[in-house]
Amino acid sequence: MSRSSAEGFQLVNKDTVVSMWVERFGIPEDVFEGFSFFRRGRMIWAFSLPEIPPFRCESIGMRVISMRESPWKPTTYALQLWGRHARKNVIDLDDEMARRFFAGESLELRAQVDRGYVVVTHMGSVMGCGLYTPGRLISQLPRERRILEIDDRSASRYAQPEDAHHECSE
Amino acid sequence: MPINIHHPNMGHEHLERYRDIIPDFSTFLDFMSRPLPVTVRINTLKTSVQELLTRLDRAGIGYERMRWYPLGLRLDMERPGRLMEFQMGLIHIQEEISMLPPLVLDPQPGERVLDLCAAPGGKAAQISMQMSNRGMVVANDSSSARIVPLRANLERLGSVNAVVTSYDGRRFPQYTFDRALVDASCSSEGTARRYPGVIARCSVKRSMDLQSLQVSLLRRAIELTRPGGVIVYSTCTFAPEENEGVVSRVLDIADLESFTIPGLQSSPGLVSWNGVDYGEELLKCRRYYPHQNDTGGFFVAKLRRRFSAGE
Repeated sequence: MSRSSAEGFQLVNKDTVVSMWVERFGIPEDVFEGFSFFRRGRMIWAFSLPEIPPFRCESIGMRVISMRESPWKPTTYALQLWGRHARKNVIDLDDEMARRFFAGESLELRAQVDRGYVVVTHMGSVMGCGLYTPGRLISQLPRERRILEIDDRSASRYAQPEDAHHECSE
Repeated sequence: MPINIHHPNMGHEHLERYRDIIPDFSTFLDFMSRPLPVTVRINTLKTSVQELLTRLDRAGIGYERMRWYPLGLRLDMERPGRLMEFQMGLIHIQEEISMLPPLVLDPQPGERVLDLCAAPGGKAAQISMQMSNRGMVVANDSSSARIVPLRANLERLGSVNAVVTSYDGRRFPQYTFDRALVDASCSSEGTARRYPGVIARCSVKRSMDLQSLQVSLLRRAIELTRPGGVIVYSTCTFAPEENEGVVSRVLDIADLESFTIPGLQSSPGLVSWNGVDYGEELLKCRRYYPHQNDTGGFFVAKLRRRFSAGE
């Protein structure tokens, strides 16, 4: 299935991947209709086509699962996209807790969820991935997505999003 | 980082060359030294307009909706990059007028679409959203340094149908796309409201140097598009050498099409400049000046690839 131009992306069994989202979060299977999953290194990527296009690809689609951990860990980006369909293992935070979650803090709280990775939301919108152990929620947000009150550079390192490519181009 | 510093006269000598083509030139100069409004695009891959507006209301953040684009907002705040909603990928910070080329391109779910000069990815992510994450948008950029922010933006915005490549756009490998966007590298005069220093680096010579690159990029994009497919060429400069001067050189393989965006003021493309005749067809291009919509400056041309040469 893999080809030299695909830079090491290998098609993986879709059911294996989808069952994780269905079993852990109760996300309906049809949310994943039309998507395929590929493995490269220890990451699983979701992509909208069943084959890798014949280019030298820097990336395809989005990283959705890290296989470095056991059980596999859903990425914050995948939960931000699909987590709103979750029916279980979701923790909704109030304003103050949400702010602290975004700062990357561990929060003392008890919730009616299973131990392990959870969808963390604020006013119903998904913030990202958290790790719950009874009495504690640990932020799993990637470093570049955290919002630190004191460090102004944190949010802007990768996040200078304005269309400025003309500025320094050629 | 100094942004939006007021430089009342910076580069006005260079801009003088446009006195006869830009309507209401003194108002234009006035707007060129004003800071840009803070604008964001709502990302419907991850949220709805209602959900996002409810969040802004609750956070006490003032906004104004764009008249011409239901997903565009002007925010009454500085530094929206620090908003939770930004980190959640519910919004993207994108200059108002740069939301326009994807609308003109009008990609459909399931199509194969090329964004030849994609970094930092705002337009590619918008295309991905317009396609409801179906089909494929290839976000290409020749600079390996710009691939990191390009990938970061696409991932934050939830683009599952995006492929990132890093080819020299002039030599992008053979493939058949349904549509292509060439938001070309340019002298960037239209970004002066955000980067006041850019005008000082502009010159006719620089525009002419860029023109040959831009023609090559646009020709390659047309070759990669199926007959009958749409190609959009855009820049953020006023320089006719980089706009009509580029488009007029590909009309042997593609045809210009008119388009209108209700609620957005614009001027037609130029039919000639400094003794060079571009042709009446170029009236179908649109020029967007900063004082017309209180945005940056932009040029957009919509082309359709011919079925065969001379048809």
